[in-house]
Amino acid sequence: MSLLRFSSVTKVYTQGQVQVHALRGLDLQIEAGEFTALVGPSGSGKTTALNLAGALDHPSSGTVALEGRDLGGLSRRELSHLRRDRIGFVFQAYNLIPVLTAYENAESVLALQGVPEGQRRERVLALFQELGLGGLEHRRPDQLSGGQQQRVAIARAIAARPAIVLADEPTANVDSETAEKLLDLMQRLNQERGVTFLFSTHDARVVDHARRVVKLVDGRVAEDLRR
Amino acid sequence: MQILRMAWRNLWRNGRRSAVTVAAMTFALWVMILYTGLVEGMLVDMVDQAVDLEVGELQVVAAGYRDDPSLHRVVADPAALLTGIEGLGYAAAPRLLGGGLGAVGQESAGVQLVGVDVERDATVTRIHQRLDQGAWLDPADPRGVVLGKRLARSLGAQVGAELLILSQGADGSIANDLFTVRGVLAGVGDGVDRGTVFLTEDAFRALMVLPAGAHRLTVRVPEGSDLDQARARIEALGPGLEVRTWRQLLPTLSTMIESTRGLIQVVAFIVYLAIAILVLNAMLMAVFERIREFGVMKAIGYGPGTVFSLIAVESALQALLATGIGVLLALPAMAWLSRVGIDVGALGGMQMMGMSMMQRWTGRFTVSTVQGPVLILWGMVALAVLWPALKAARIPPIEAMRAR
Repeated sequence: MSLLRFSSVTKVYTQGQVQVHALRGLDLQIEAGEFTALVGPSGSGKTTALNLAGALDHPSSGTVALEGRDLGGLSRRELSHLRRDRIGFVFQAYNLIPVLTAYENAESVLALQGVPEGQRRERVLALFQELGLGGLEHRRPDQLSGGQQQRVAIARAIAARPAIVLADEPTANVDSETAEKLLDLMQRLNQERGVTFLFSTHDARVVDHARRVVKLVDGRVAEDLRR
Repeated sequence: MQILRMAWRNLWRNGRRSAVTVAAMTFALWVMILYTGLVEGMLVDMVDQAVDLEVGELQVVAAGYRDDPSLHRVVADPAALLTGIEGLGYAAAPRLLGGGLGAVGQESAGVQLVGVDVERDATVTRIHQRLDQGAWLDPADPRGVVLGKRLARSLGAQVGAELLILSQGADGSIANDLFTVRGVLAGVGDGVDRGTVFLTEDAFRALMVLPAGAHRLTVRVPEGSDLDQARARIEALGPGLEVRTWRQLLPTLSTMIESTRGLIQVVAFIVYLAIAILVLNAMLMAVFERIREFGVMKAIGYGPGTVFSLIAVESALQALLATGIGVLLALPAMAWLSRVGIDVGALGGMQMMGMSMMQRWTGRFTVSTVQGPVLILWGMVALAVLWPALKAARIPPIEAMRAR
């Protein structure tokens, strides 16, 4: 059973009086432990595919299944729990909660899951050491650099041990050196912890690190390259 | 705990807006606490004026007296009834009532004659403390009488003036005698002010040739007693008695008190409506400014209920701050208004429902006069925050994250 499966997925947006076909029958399977990059030109459907995989949006037709569960059949509450427990998000703009410190941001999902405070602390502090965030626990997002914020976002995404981490252009807002470090970090997490990553990206550096590159064109898979 | 922490910090992201919202809530609460206490003080004062000065909490008369108030229709054995009433733990005093003509020099007027058991009456009413000039009745001065304020003015009577009273005695004889004005009352109420002459019980009995019986017994019960229960217990003391509470005797006043209390709620609603609109505006702005953030929160697993709670707790914290500060600021004002009050004597005292009010308007502040405005504030804030909180809770995460 695939970890994530898109079956004949279409997605049509209506912008004013114009219908935009973002996905036109996407068929794709992501297996556990993969480090996959979705690439393609603007408007090819990368972000839409990621949003559907993250249960943030519904397909117009077809099915998206995570760990065998059809996301279309879940209630809002079940989707919310699914995102909390099984999916980690890393956004282009980091999207940390500004009123929480780095540590509080990273532990927020664990707190929502009801993990006891002692375990949360142990897990988050270990992650902070691993991600090079030691000593930054009490800083607010606006006191961190872009790279540091993105590392906190990665810590938040993987702290709850999700089935998959969905990363939308994670290196778009950081410099080359920081981008390399972030990619090395995510690759290490993939290799050592077996965390599954699915990226949408334009960044050639991400493509270089990926073990599988899926190219989307006009909302369909045009090329699927495994290394 | 996480929600409380986030809500508290969110409040200070736009400190000025939060401060203005809290200040407006605080001011409204402060005004409403003082207003409620002052109105309550006025109502209590009105009841006190009616009950303490003249009517009493309960009145006992012979059956049929109220419909046909005759000199001959009396409670036959007031002494036995007084003993019975006092046995129930209540205080009571008899009064004798009659009508006649009073004249001072060339001026004359129809008068209501009230015979008073001076010693007992002081335990059930405070009319003896309500003098404008001279002194109250004294059993040792059986010719001394006390006049209502406006009667004294219309007769041109001062303390020391001679008052001729002319009436018909219980035996059918002409009752007339000369009395001396010992005192003139301050404003009590229309009925007393315009035409009442108070005289001692003995003087009344002698003038009206009424050796026994009493027309009315005024009863006072311990504070907090149930008046209807007291009425039933007194009625059970003997047949032929008609017992009425002050609420039955003064139904207009009773209704007005209830409706004024209702009016407080209406005024509070109007004042707080303005505050609710302010809260609604502030919270809507806060929600729209952070709509992307709510989208992210929902994306990473915060449920609609948690997002709703976050907005609700932010408003609750503002209301809590306003409650604390508002009550704290109201304390010295409450103390001053309840002890010193507002001098309304300059306006000639206030008159309402035909009763003279006190010269000084004091507030009456109890747990309920503070609790009421606080609860209404919280209710209005809860209503105001409902829409923004629901909006934040229900917006789909993808839509919220796309918002600009």
